[in-house]
Amino acid sequence: MNIVDKNNMPDFPKEKFVFVQQDTAIKDERFETKPIGFFKDAMIRFRKNKASVTAIVIILCIAFISIFGPSFNAYGFNDQDVTRTNLPPRIPVLENFGIADGTRILTNRRVDNLEDTKKYPEGSIIEVFNRRTEKRVEMCDVKINAYVQNGCPDDYFWLGTDYLGRDLWTRMCRGSRVSLMIAILSVLANIVIGIIYGAIAGYYGGKVDMVMMRICEIVGAFPQVVVATLFIMFFGTGIFSIVMALIIRGWISTARMIRSQFLRFKNREYVLAARTLGVKDSALIFRHILPNSIGPIITKAMIEVPGAIFSESFLAFIGLGLQAPEPSIGVLLSEGQKVLLHYPSQTLFPALLISILMISFNLFSNGLRDAFDPTMRGID
Amino acid sequence: MTRYIIERIVAMLLTLFIIVTIAFCVVRLMPGSVYDNPELPQKVLDALEARDHLNEPILVQYGYFLKGVVLEGDWGTSIKVEPSVPAFDVLTKRIPITLEINIYSLLLSLPLGIICGTIAALRKNKLSDHIISAMVVLFISVPSFVFASLMQYFLSFKLNLFPIVYESSAVGWMRFSSMCLPIMALAFGPIATVTRYLRGELVETVNSEFMTLAKTKGLNQVQATVRHAFRNSCLPLANVIIPMFTNILGGSLVIEQIFSIPGVGGLMVKSINANDHPLTVAILIFYSIVSLLTILLVDLSYGIIDPRIRLEGK
Repeated sequence: MNIVDKNNMPDFPKEKFVFVQQDTAIKDERFETKPIGFFKDAMIRFRKNKASVTAIVIILCIAFISIFGPSFNAYGFNDQDVTRTNLPPRIPVLENFGIADGTRILTNRRVDNLEDTKKYPEGSIIEVFNRRTEKRVEMCDVKINAYVQNGCPDDYFWLGTDYLGRDLWTRMCRGSRVSLMIAILSVLANIVIGIIYGAIAGYYGGKVDMVMMRICEIVGAFPQVVVATLFIMFFGTGIFSIVMALIIRGWISTARMIRSQFLRFKNREYVLAARTLGVKDSALIFRHILPNSIGPIITKAMIEVPGAIFSESFLAFIGLGLQAPEPSIGVLLSEGQKVLLHYPSQTLFPALLISILMISFNLFSNGLRDAFDPTMRGID
Repeated sequence: MTRYIIERIVAMLLTLFIIVTIAFCVVRLMPGSVYDNPELPQKVLDALEARDHLNEPILVQYGYFLKGVVLEGDWGTSIKVEPSVPAFDVLTKRIPITLEINIYSLLLSLPLGIICGTIAALRKNKLSDHIISAMVVLFISVPSFVFASLMQYFLSFKLNLFPIVYESSAVGWMRFSSMCLPIMALAFGPIATVTRYLRGELVETVNSEFMTLAKTKGLNQVQATVRHAFRNSCLPLANVIIPMFTNILGGSLVIEQIFSIPGVGGLMVKSINANDHPLTVAILIFYSIVSLLTILLVDLSYGIIDPRIRLEGK
């Protein structure tokens, strides 16, 4: 290879020099696709998860019913009527098919009482079967229409009534509203407190971190049940004190999570760069480091909702629920539990509701976690 | 290691002291006096309060209380739930009942959970995995008291398989069969938790290099998983199982209430409702000790199960 000397360059004629391109400006090709942000990306992944989509639909349905359900029929949640206590469910169309038709089977009745129109008004007896004689008394089992028997043949209580004659449908809708409200309020407060606490502990580190984490440990060492019980005993029952009881210990896990996120991100170069540019601590915490954990935070919030619903009904079950007329799912369950063996439907419907709600929230939060953090996929 | 343990225990005692202080103050400051029987004359009430130092400032009361607990092992005397029985005896009488039921339920749930988790991991994304996953979601989501109610109605009342409530006076088979429902109700949650964790861990380790090595040595998938992958999954599992073992002392309030089991769970609610302050404080201390011990055990277990984790830090 011969090296051209700078001083005796071969002679190139000027015509040999031509522009490669002259007519149009050189540009990068325009992207055919649209940019996909963090949330859009997560949404795409979330939509592929059929179970989670179903779950969110169910949650929305329950939320809708909990808001508008009580106005579907004429009964109020506290309309007491002693003439119509403990009625079985009765639904207009379904009753023709033998489901929820307001009938009940009474066992071991005396046959000679069947003619008594005070006990069994006309038309209330549908079927008499299993006739037998015990100790010279004729006994039988009777299938009756409880609505006719109680003198309200035109009423339709979709899920029946409770021991004070209150419509269970209305109470259940209102109850799920209260339960959801308690859950959402407490989770929101937990997340906010946890974020601030964890951010400060994780960001400043050192002694601050040690003291704050010791406080966490001390608060965390109080058993949840004990704290909640003491709190409710102290402040009385009510939505506020239940929410507060759930907050007292609830923020700790969020704070721990946020702290570990901060430990991970606070030494990154971009944070150092921002700090060198003179960004304030608060801006560093909330604008630069915190957005990294937005996915885990949302997931965490959704994971905690069923936990809060569970805690609320748990407290109601041990007698620390809401004040008397106000229903919640837990209150309904514990009221139903008292008459479980006689009127199982009063337990069954709240039990189904809370189970469906909890399953939906769990599936939904699983889907969210997979969507925000695909590396966690499949680790149930 | 020894130094670390001692440090942790000292820290734990400090935490315990703070908790006891808070618990004592909160309980004593609660409205309502311990002695509120309207039939007793004021003089007797005053005398009773003077005997228990209830008429003195709260700090002095606390001093008496600490002296009793530390020097004489005296946790106070129950006043209303079981009058004039030492609070410690009230607790120890109920612990065995709770312990028995919960240990049975753990004996049922741990093996089942481990088996289900292993099966699910081995047959990942096959039918049996999906069935087990669905079961896990169901068991984790549905509260134990819903299961308890449903089982009580369908299994005991409709099918007459088990007694409806716990029978403490029965012996032998009858006693065990009356414990079956609470045991099952308590077992569902742990089964699901263990299964979920184990599956997650196994699925991760199954793809690691030492598993490939194990398979090239000639082990089949099951052998390799059980002998090699399973050990690696023990660490996170211990994180779940140890709290289960210690939590059993706390018992499950609701389950005990539904099946009317005279265990520790119901005792606390009862004592708080009855304003039985000495007993309440004793129970609170008991619960706190249990939960502090749990944290300590979990932390120590890290070092024992996986020596690679250095406890001293830094």
